[in-house]
Order: sequence, then structure tokens, then C-alpha cells
Amino acid sequence: MISLKNVSLVFQGGSVAISNISTKVEQGEFVYLVGHSGSGKSSFLKLLYKEYIATKGEIEVANIDVSKLPKWKIPLLRRKIGIVTQEPQLLENRNTFENISFALEVMGSLPEEIDAKTNTLLDLVELNENAYKYPGQLSGGEQTRVSIARALANNPVVLLCDEPTGNLDPDLSIQIVSLLEKINRAGTTVIMATHDSSIVNRRKKRVLELSDGKIVRDELDGSYIVR
Amino acid sequence: MGKFSYVLKNTLLNMRRTPLLVFATIIAVLVSSFLVFTTLSARSIVENNTLRWQNGIHVVVFLDDRVTTTAHKQLETSLEDYPEVRTVDYFSKPEAKEEFKVLFRDQPELLAEVDYEILPASLRINLNNPSDYQLIIERLDGNPAVKEIRTSGEAIERLLSLTDTLVISASAFALLIGFAAFILIINTLRLAAYSKKKEIKIMRLIGASSTYIRLPFIFEAVVESLIGTSIAVGFGWALIEYSKSSVVADSIFDINISDDYLIFLTLSLLMFSLIFGLFASFVGIRKALND
Repeated sequence: MISLKNVSLVFQGGSVAISNISTKVEQGEFVYLVGHSGSGKSSFLKLLYKEYIATKGEIEVANIDVSKLPKWKIPLLRRKIGIVTQEPQLLENRNTFENISFALEVMGSLPEEIDAKTNTLLDLVELNENAYKYPGQLSGGEQTRVSIARALANNPVVLLCDEPTGNLDPDLSIQIVSLLEKINRAGTTVIMATHDSSIVNRRKKRVLELSDGKIVRDELDGSYIVR
Repeated sequence: MGKFSYVLKNTLLNMRRTPLLVFATIIAVLVSSFLVFTTLSARSIVENNTLRWQNGIHVVVFLDDRVTTTAHKQLETSLEDYPEVRTVDYFSKPEAKEEFKVLFRDQPELLAEVDYEILPASLRINLNNPSDYQLIIERLDGNPAVKEIRTSGEAIERLLSLTDTLVISASAFALLIGFAAFILIINTLRLAAYSKKKEIKIMRLIGASSTYIRLPFIFEAVVESLIGTSIAVGFGWALIEYSKSSVVADSIFDINISDDYLIFLTLSLLMFSLIFGLFASFVGIRKALND
């Protein structure tokens, strides 16, 4: 599903974000990407959806050779990936329903498909009652759930979450992780970057730990080790 | 269909977001296109008229009555041999009298008073190139059979020169306003792109192609450009129709322009405004969308 071979990312000016990492993530896996701030978690995820271009190495995501993918084909890659960022990035002038349906609208779905799919997603993230509320009327956790629903709108095979619980309190964080696990059980591969030790330790999943751009630990049923 | 309606909806939303700027842009395009349309139409009208005049008589040589008719005929023959001369027609005194009567038929007092004997015979010359009239004057200089020479070439040259000056001035002005329209479109699009920064970011994450993200902006520029040009062309047609029935049309000037030329001009301007809109949108959003 996801494979990285000797991948490095060096920014202009010489700072190394990712240093010669190799790993694989199988279809249907749930992986926590952990590490302190600046360890390279976000860069790792951005390489997967080609927001950053690897300086060297090979990356494959959902049978697409990301390293050789021309710029104009990046949208094709992103249609297979759902992306959730720390900031939910919701459109303030659209309500919950419209924020989710926006993804379907942009991809050219028909109105009846948009309505049906959006309602299904609202069910999934349990936001039916907030369907017509605007982002300003939603809590942080609810906003993140809207963002997750939007990321799932086009049936991605991989969901990449960059610290989605970063701004949430522990209870809300647990709710979000439960939701991501539910999505994962339905067959979607999930990679979640976090530095929330309580979540990682409570849910025994595969843990990839990054430090200074290198994978320093890769454990199935891993935990968060505070160094 | 879904994608097209998204593009269309967002084009209108973009335009509603900055109505004053959109209005200013349309006005600038309108003024610029109107100037181009009217200038080119005016040039065509002048060309039609000068062509008509050019096909007529360019030089009239009034003949001296004191010289014999044989000398007149000799002059006619020698004129016919000049390479710059296309035709020479001899106009006798009786013919001059008849022409005078026709020309001044509205002034019976004048017709009653005039001594027709003073009307001279003349040679009416049509030149291959009307601007060669000076050559004829030089050739006939000092010829005893010639009483007076009158030419229309100078008037035509003055009119064409004036037209050229008008065309150049109006084109320069149209270019200046066109440039202002170009800048306005770029600013309108940049503002729209800036206000939709977050939306564009989300679209990119979702997997919308660059072309698809650009389309509403491209449509906006093209729509603004086409609206301005369409109105300008409409005004232009109306102005020509009005001129045909106005006092100008009753003068020596014939407000005559072919529908084929007007249709050609209209389609060319619309095509140009389409390309103009596409180019302006390309320049306007290239940096704003940062891709």
C-alpha cells in the first residue's frame, strides 16, 4: 500500500527533514507516527501526498510511483488519499453539510449523489444534528470530525492525519481516535501523526517513531516512549 | 455537468464578491473596444468614400477659348499618351452649359443671369494613381491651350492623412485604456483568488486539478471581457445606424459600410476579447495560485 525506500528530504538551505528512511505500511493498517516537534512527522506525511518532493529515494502510495509522478498528475494521487490537518481548514461561510459536500462538488459529483454521500458521512462522524451549523458554532472536536468526513468524501484508500487531536482535550482526542479506528476497520489505511502519548499508549497499534528525520523505532503494538 | 455547474457558480460568486471592480473592468473594456470598433468603422467609411472619389475625375483642365479646337484635340491626344493617365474625356462648351444647368437647377436667378459663353470646354482626366495629379500640372505648365487646372487629389490626400492621424490617435488611446482594462482584470482576479485562498488549498488537498481550480477565474476574465466588448459593439452598430440617418449622411460623405465588414469586425473584436481575457487571467492568477 505504502512503501518508502531510502527516502530523504533536504530543504533549500540544507536542513534535513527526512534522512534515508525505508518502511512499508500494508493495506488496512493503522499506524501512529510519533516523535517530538520537528522530528519529521509532517514532512513524512507531506512526502506521501507530494506536497514535498523527496530529494532522493522511492515512494509508492496506492500503486502510484510518487517519486516519478509528474506535477500535473498529483491530483490523481490525492484523489486516493484523504488528508486531515491539525487545523480543520473549514470554510467559514459554509455549514457542516456544505463543508463536507464541497469535496464531492469539486470532484464533479451529481447533486443527488452529493446529498446521499454527505448524509452517510454525517452519520459516520455523528454530526447529523450539527449539519446546518457553521464552523464558528462547532467545538474543536466537531470541527475535526467535519474535516475527517470531508477527507473521506471521495473514498480514499489511505487517510493521512497530521496531529488531528493537537488542539483538543483528552476526551475529544479519544473520540477522534475512536472515529479513525472505526474508519480503519472499514478497510481504510490510516496513518496518524501525533505526540499525544496517552492516545498511543491506550490503543495498541503499530508505532513508527521519528527523530531528526530518521525512523528510530518501528513496533507493532507499540507505545509512546517519552525520551 | 456537475463540474461545469461548479465552475459557473463560482465564476458568478467571484464576480459578486467585487462588483465595483468588475464594473470598472467591464467599462474599461467597453471604452477600449468601442474606440477600436468606431475607429476601424470610420476608417472603412472614409476609405469607401475616397475610393469613390478616386474612381472619379482627378484633374479638370479648363481650355482656353482663344485656342483652336484642333489644339484642344492635340492636347487630349498627348494627355492620353502619358503613362499616369487612365482616361481623358473632352467636355465641350455646350456640355458644360448643360452641366451648369443641372448643378444650379435650384437657383433659377443665377441660371437666368449667367453668360454661358464664359463656360469653357474642358478635359476631364482620370489618373491611375490620384496622387500623380502634380505631375499633370507640371506637364501642362505653360501650355497655351490651358486656361486653368483644378485637382481633387490634394483634398483626398488631406482627408486620408487626417483619417490616418485619427486612426493612430484613437488606436493609441484604445491601447492605453485596453492596458488599464488588463490591469483591472488582473487585480480583480488576484483579489478573488486571495479571498478564496483557503478554498483553493482545500481543493488542492482533495485532488482538484490546477486547470479546474483556475477555470472560475479564467471564466470570470473572459466573461468580463466579452460583456464589455459586446456592449461596445452594440453601441458601435447603433452609432453607425444613427449616422446613416443623420445630417452627416446628407453631406458629401456617404455613410456606407458593408454588413460583411461590420460582422467581420464584430467577430474579430469578440475573438480578440476572448484571447485578451484568457491572457489576462493567465497573468492574473499565475502568481496568486502559486502553482
